[in-house]
Amino acid sequence: MTPSIQQAVEEIRSAYPGHSVDVEDDGAGGAFVKVHDLLIGDQYVPPVSWIAFRITFQYPLADVYGHYCVPNLARRDNVPLGQGFSQQVWRGEPATMMSRRSNHLNPALDTAAFKLAKVLDWMRSL
Amino acid sequence: MKKFSFTMPQTLYDQLMAHLFPGDGDEHGAVIAAGISQSAGYIRFLARTVIEALDGADYVRGKYGYRALTADFVARASDYCARERLCYFAVHCHGGSDSVGFSVIDADSHERGYPALLDITNGGPVGALVFAKNAVAGSIWLRDGVYPLQGLTVVGPNVRRLYSSRAHAPRGANPIYHRQSLIFGAAGQDLLNKTRVGIIGMGGAGSLVNEWLSRLGIGEIIAIDFDKVEPSNCPRTVGATHWDAQVWLSAKEWAPLRRLAGLFSSHKVSVGARVAKMANPRIKYHAIVGNITTMETALLLKDVDFLFLCADRAQSRLVFNALVHQYLIPGVQVGAKVQVNRDSGRVNEVFAVSRPVLPFEKGGCLLCNELIPAKQLQEEALSDEERRAQAYVDDPLIVAPSVITMNAVAGAQAVNDFLLGYFGLFSDSVNKGYLMQFCCDRQWSSVECRAVDGCLHCGKTSASAFARGDRAGLPCRG
Repeated sequence: MTPSIQQAVEEIRSAYPGHSVDVEDDGAGGAFVKVHDLLIGDQYVPPVSWIAFRITFQYPLADVYGHYCVPNLARRDNVPLGQGFSQQVWRGEPATMMSRRSNHLNPALDTAAFKLAKVLDWMRSL
Repeated sequence: MKKFSFTMPQTLYDQLMAHLFPGDGDEHGAVIAAGISQSAGYIRFLARTVIEALDGADYVRGKYGYRALTADFVARASDYCARERLCYFAVHCHGGSDSVGFSVIDADSHERGYPALLDITNGGPVGALVFAKNAVAGSIWLRDGVYPLQGLTVVGPNVRRLYSSRAHAPRGANPIYHRQSLIFGAAGQDLLNKTRVGIIGMGGAGSLVNEWLSRLGIGEIIAIDFDKVEPSNCPRTVGATHWDAQVWLSAKEWAPLRRLAGLFSSHKVSVGARVAKMANPRIKYHAIVGNITTMETALLLKDVDFLFLCADRAQSRLVFNALVHQYLIPGVQVGAKVQVNRDSGRVNEVFAVSRPVLPFEKGGCLLCNELIPAKQLQEEALSDEERRAQAYVDDPLIVAPSVITMNAVAGAQAVNDFLLGYFGLFSDSVNKGYLMQFCCDRQWSSVECRAVDGCLHCGKTSASAFARGDRAGLPCRG
């Protein structure tokens, strides 16, 4: 892993104390990251999920895109999940993908930890 | 014998000259903090910061000589270099213009101070430079010895070269280069013969640039491309034959025969090597079948004199931009684009672009000018399987339109810019921006370049890789 990605992983661990964080080298200098037991919102079934994503080797200049959580995520009120959600595959396993792009990415601000926080904020706001 | 040189961005050189030669005829001092690029038998220092010594406070009457840096200033500057992992170079000026050298007192002071500075800066290297208005001499201190500086290159729109005394001009140019040596001189032709150029991407634009550089008499080319020639490349790839593309096998109905075409076709860099050697049989040519996004391949370019980017992927742009700023190599991005409405098939716009990218503020950094999209970088890093999982749809039947003459417009502008800048022929008021030709309107347009505070390539914050050379990582696959 590049020093930038090691730093990103440390920031994620610091931002989510008490949550287990799995990190695996992606073989190209980047990392696969999975943060466990995150509250995604009481409006969802389940309300708590892991969230996984890949930090590619060009980080922090590349977007951290494609955040995944449990497969078949649903809303408690049975309303469809709507735009930004789709059923995809995370490392060979079914998963729900959240599609949130960072337009005009600022590498100093748009860290992997900040992006995860933004994805969680967005999910909780729906 | 190791060889040592220095490279300095124009803006930093201007700052240093204004400090050393303010017009009072007196002696002034400073420290240059520099990155380093090390190759076998060759070390190049890369000026990142000038720390000016304040007259009377940091640069005072000396115990042994006329003036000296104070111990406190040396401690502060060397501590900064140690923290930033940069090399320490003490600088002062002498009178005179076209030749310069250290005095005996200078050399004695190096003997007294530099062994300790090597320890303070974690092995350095450290050294000293002495400037006259048009000359520089240097002494480089390593743990294994002391070495002279060969010369200093200033990289701006014009490239300028400084030595300890005037170089001897060669007697005459090779007669085959007579017409162009009437512009560049015999010394210029000799310089071209000693020049190393890198070309990233040997498709339509790259193959043209490759032939022109070879015909100009460039001494060494490092060409990088992993691709092979396909039948549809033949109309644009200079020198590519139907045999290179295995056109006869590609047209077979039986799929295994078509696959053989891919196996037996030539790499684009091999075609480039053939073209270059036809143009200049004495050229030293490195045909690299490789991907610029791998570290091993990218590092082959870290000490070229000029870099052409003729590939259009965001990852190639990122590595090129990093090489320019981290290793202070002047470069240019070349390309042409045809925008077609997918539904109607109508041509919306055709443009050819030549973007100089020079290692100083507002020099054309591709990151600052939003030409390396974060989204595209992320997409290109994924495997085909991952791209499918993220629901990207690649249709192999949809390819970008491309025409050799449009590549030629952009390529010719870029090679002209290289030549004029390399020989210092640009005027002081030269337009430093990107140039675009909107072909359908027959209009040239200039785009002024901007700089973004805190840029990781061209900025000056601690996080920036600017002029750090080997002491920062390139954005390549690990």
